[in-house]
Amino acid sequence: MLLEVKNLTIPTFDQKCVIVNDVSFDVREGSIHAIIGPNGSGKSTLAYSIMGLSNYKPFQGKIYFDGIDITDMSITERSKMGITLAWQEPARIEGLSVKKYVSLGIKDKSNLGEKVTEALEIVNLPSKKYVNRYIDNSLSGGERKRIELAAVVAMKPRLIILDEPDSGLDVIITEDFMNIFNKIKKLNMTILLITHREEIGMVADYGTLIWHGDVLITDLFPYVMLRYCKKAGLKEFCKRTLYKEGKPCFPEDYIDRIFNEEEPFE
Amino acid sequence: MSKEDYPEDILNSLEDYNIDIRDFLPGHGGGAKLLLDFNRIKGIEQYEGIILRGKEIPNGIVADVIIKEGTKIDEPVHLCFGVNKETGVQEIFPRIIAEDNTDVKVQAHCSFPNANGLIHKMYGHFYIGKNCNFTYTETHYHGENSGALVAPVGYMYVGENSIFENVFNLTKGTPGKVKIMLDIYAMENSVIRSNVKAFGKNKNDSVRIRDAIYLEGQNASSVLKMKAAAKDGGEVLMYGITEGNAPYCNGHVECSEIVLGKGSICRARPFIRATDPTSSVSHEASLGRFPQKWLDEIMAKGLTEEEATEILIEAMLGEE
Repeated sequence: MLLEVKNLTIPTFDQKCVIVNDVSFDVREGSIHAIIGPNGSGKSTLAYSIMGLSNYKPFQGKIYFDGIDITDMSITERSKMGITLAWQEPARIEGLSVKKYVSLGIKDKSNLGEKVTEALEIVNLPSKKYVNRYIDNSLSGGERKRIELAAVVAMKPRLIILDEPDSGLDVIITEDFMNIFNKIKKLNMTILLITHREEIGMVADYGTLIWHGDVLITDLFPYVMLRYCKKAGLKEFCKRTLYKEGKPCFPEDYIDRIFNEEEPFE
Repeated sequence: MSKEDYPEDILNSLEDYNIDIRDFLPGHGGGAKLLLDFNRIKGIEQYEGIILRGKEIPNGIVADVIIKEGTKIDEPVHLCFGVNKETGVQEIFPRIIAEDNTDVKVQAHCSFPNANGLIHKMYGHFYIGKNCNFTYTETHYHGENSGALVAPVGYMYVGENSIFENVFNLTKGTPGKVKIMLDIYAMENSVIRSNVKAFGKNKNDSVRIRDAIYLEGQNASSVLKMKAAAKDGGEVLMYGITEGNAPYCNGHVECSEIVLGKGSICRARPFIRATDPTSSVSHEASLGRFPQKWLDEIMAKGLTEEEATEILIEAMLGEE
């Protein structure tokens, strides 16, 4: 396993209550693993804790990366090991060129132009048009998300945490982003995808469902999604959306049966 | 003019700004040019539509730049006020007139690479006519010894329907003691954009910049952005003033300053005043450290907190 999260509990800043409660799951190398759950379920908190942000230190539990305990490591140490995060809303660091921003995490600065071009093209941004632009309000939200994604891809990390990469994007662009995730996967980078939108999660191989801070299931993504739909009482929605490569993931009667079963954990 | 005729130290001094003064020497590239070596005029190059005159006086020069009515040129007018010496007094009296319907850029390079007790003073008067598009960029380099005392004063009148862009940059090298005072008077429908950036790098650096914009004409508007950083005992005061004195005028002052290391001081004093009930003037100021989220975003790309801070300063004080 590339990433192992063991019994992680993350409190609020004031330590008065728990956001993520005794969470455990594993992420396989080379996979796309989606963390899904409704708004406020603790998905982003989990992502920030895995990245090592200072305000998201776990109260208990361990995080292992490639078998090494990284629980007490700093954000910089983790990123040097090959973990990075693409932010839901990247800061607008005005005054920095796109080239400079994308190259921030490239360790070997030789042939920098080529490396930046390659990263921009992976996220479907024509390099000539963007490389000399500055990060300012002339860039749309979608363009900024792609630039952020290019910057993390340029690092060639082993694990990319994508925090709600779909937020604020329209449906057509969402489809394009899913293709980009598949491209990144083919480059041997593992993706931990944080999302609450089922259609973008369909790109994932595996998934973990978080519900009010608890992990309910970790499995192949369609099974996780099925459980999510059942939890939310969305049978018809489930039948309509659980498709992979144009084919339904489950026969309708199977979905009916699952929905009629009693919840095993309640 | 050949490159050998001008001190090498000055020619190379703006490299960190990605500016090569060689590109602006008379006989090299387009545009009108006036070059000073301390208090001597080393070269003047005229350009169609522009009158450029320089007169040497004790301790400095009077420089007149007149942009004739209707002149629109891409090549900037270049003014280079260079001093290669360590000490001395350089006083500059620029008088710049942009007649109506002109579109021009003026670039001033004030470079004192060996300053160690050097005094540079400027008393500038600018008159921008009607329907003009005028950009004034002043880039400063005061060497690495905090040895300059620089005190420019400027008065600028911006006529009806004109756009005036002011860019002041003192972010490379060590500033020394700097006191800048600038008054801009904005007439009807004029637009003022002023960006001021400075970086105090040690306890011998003290930068005080007072920029004032007076919105005197109906619908005049302005944005004054002042950005600074102070480290290792450096001190920066940014005093941004905007007054709304005319109907429907609109002004904004923004001060952002970052403090690094013990003993450094950043002060921001945005001052706004409205005397017309239909005017609108606002300000915002932030001082201290960068938001943690910004630092985290950079650190997640493998950089340390110190490196991330350097990058953010570069961004804040860099180009826009």
